[in-house]
Amino acid sequence: MFVNPEVPPDSIPSAEDLDWQPLHPRFARRLRAGALLRIAVLAVVAAAIHFFATSGGAGPLVRAVAGLLPAMWAAVAAISAWALLWPTIAVPRRGYVVCEKDILHRSGVLWRSVKAVPFNRVQHTATDSGPLDRRFGLANLSVFPAGAGGHKICGLGADTAEELRVYVSARIEAESEETAD
Amino acid sequence: MPNPPDPDPGAWRRISPFAAVFFVGRTLRNAVRGYVQLVATFGAIAVLVRGAPHAPLLIPAAIAAVVAGAVLKYWFFRFRIAEDRILIREGVFRKTALDLPFERIQGINVRRSPVDRLLGLVTVRMDTAGSGTTEGELPSVRAALADELRARIAAAARTREARPGTPAPPEEDGGLRDRNRTPGEPLLKLGGSDMVRIGIGRDIVLLAAMLIAAAWRRPRELPYRFAETFGFSEEFVRPALETAEATIASSDALGDTTFAGGLVLAALAVVLALGIGTALLRHHGFTLWREGTAYRSRGGLLTRREVTVETARIQQLTLYQDAVMRCFRRYRLRVHPAADARASSHHDVPDVLEVPLLDARLADELRSGVFGREGAGVVLLPKSGPFTRVSRVYVQALLLRTGGVPALGGSLLLLSLTGPTRAWAAFSGAWGLSWILIGGLVALQRWRRRGYLHDEDGLAVRSGLVGRRVDAFLFRKAQSVTVRRSPLERRRGLATLEIALASDTVSVPCIEHGVARRLRDHILHKAETNRRWH
Repeated sequence: MFVNPEVPPDSIPSAEDLDWQPLHPRFARRLRAGALLRIAVLAVVAAAIHFFATSGGAGPLVRAVAGLLPAMWAAVAAISAWALLWPTIAVPRRGYVVCEKDILHRSGVLWRSVKAVPFNRVQHTATDSGPLDRRFGLANLSVFPAGAGGHKICGLGADTAEELRVYVSARIEAESEETAD
Repeated sequence: MPNPPDPDPGAWRRISPFAAVFFVGRTLRNAVRGYVQLVATFGAIAVLVRGAPHAPLLIPAAIAAVVAGAVLKYWFFRFRIAEDRILIREGVFRKTALDLPFERIQGINVRRSPVDRLLGLVTVRMDTAGSGTTEGELPSVRAALADELRARIAAAARTREARPGTPAPPEEDGGLRDRNRTPGEPLLKLGGSDMVRIGIGRDIVLLAAMLIAAAWRRPRELPYRFAETFGFSEEFVRPALETAEATIASSDALGDTTFAGGLVLAALAVVLALGIGTALLRHHGFTLWREGTAYRSRGGLLTRREVTVETARIQQLTLYQDAVMRCFRRYRLRVHPAADARASSHHDVPDVLEVPLLDARLADELRSGVFGREGAGVVLLPKSGPFTRVSRVYVQALLLRTGGVPALGGSLLLLSLTGPTRAWAAFSGAWGLSWILIGGLVALQRWRRRGYLHDEDGLAVRSGLVGRRVDAFLFRKAQSVTVRRSPLERRRGLATLEIALASDTVSVPCIEHGVARRLRDHILHKAETNRRWH
């Protein structure tokens, strides 16, 4: 029998008062390691440009590039500093909560968002981890409802992600049994 | 061919050989889909035709290749209708095998191209939930097959319902129990005068007309720019136009002005004719019925499209009122099934039921037909409902985006070119001021149009700049809910509420943070206590 008791809206806890779970402590380090790799590629490209601009001929383009070299290195330094600093700012502001009926994810530093996906709308779940994630023992959990409004919770511990995935799958099953279609 | 695990295997069937025409059409459509591909395709053809010495040979070769591919596709296409599912095997090199249970099929849409109509064939498209693209497609099959499939799907739905332990669907959806599937009186039938109204009513036609009128200042340039757009060189057009100009000048005392005015009027007429022609092609003889628990529409001059959508599967209603349509007191309504609206530019999306022209009474009737007793307070008509305005901060937020960014960016770009001179200061000042003025007016108008209203079960959001648009849905159709706050919103204690549906995302910007949170919790509560979203 379809049971659908009315719950007074005031008794539902508001999502902002929840006990937000932080991401894995190693996640900031993993982001910095990724940033270091990208910075290394950027530095190699910049060094190559530097080399060609200083050793090449005296065409107008080469001279123009040679004049811009200090600006280029300043930009590389600024991007590197920002990329290394960013995880320290952003990671503490991300988090997730698993409630009885839904899963919430918050993110953003300037543009902050809190997204909630009810379990009974979830179509499927997935975990994934890149080589760098695995090196740090991390994994990402994705939750897909129909349409475009899914979660991707990055930077969970590998076992946490798997536990969560199993839990969410179990919740979906429980929800569909409770109110079979 | 592998044996499918089915106790009652029906025979594998072929489609009609005329499906080759359909496959040729699809190959051509794929070649020109998207602007980038369009440019790339025509560019490649142009380069080939100009560059290669044997260019005339290439075109027949390409045509032969496309036709041969289509014939091969027909040859390898087979389908089978089993007890509870349909199986489709296709593919020449990359084989695909589709196994589609009837209970997953959302709707059967039927298309009849002119060739199909001559031969009594149809193209059947089957849409499923949760997939943004059309999954199963049977090109060029007998028209009776579509009816057979419909009957099978209805039968599958009945047996599924008869299973013990499943709850009866509530009344407002009507469920699938309603066996009376014969189409009754049409809810709407559009005639020739309606096509004219649809054609001239679109905002895009209005925009094109305004652009042409704005070109009045230099009307002599217009034919050359047109010619350029369509790839003809100026030398090609000039002699013809000069002859025409000379003829008119010699026969007409007013001469020059008349010629210029005539050109603009002719361009306007072409735009209007294009608008009306498109409307006629797409919607000729449009008819809408209620059929049992579904809505069914049919229309089109050459290719006739038939779209059926089950009421319970409808995710969202969008009502448009273009600026010119306001004079006619008419609207346009799109009925969204579960499909990713953003996929439309890349994939073959399912046909969406669109009512191109309807009055307020029918719009209200359709709303109550789709939403039932739920969402009685969710008004679709943009003018009538007590829509709540969003905060005035929305004007500021829009102005920052649409006025501030281009003004600042333009000034900075100019600075890098000229350096901080007096001329730069004067010019970038004027540039920034004009952007902020235009952006401000646009932002103000968009703020005036923004509004939302909700009752216990549903929400309607109004927006628009030139025309108006209202999106309405029931809370239980929500897939996820987001509360987003920009730095500006946080300073003013505001928030943006975003509700993702299986069809599209609806957002309400710049409302009180507390209101957004309460609405979010209410929507989640409604979604979590009710599983019926499709």
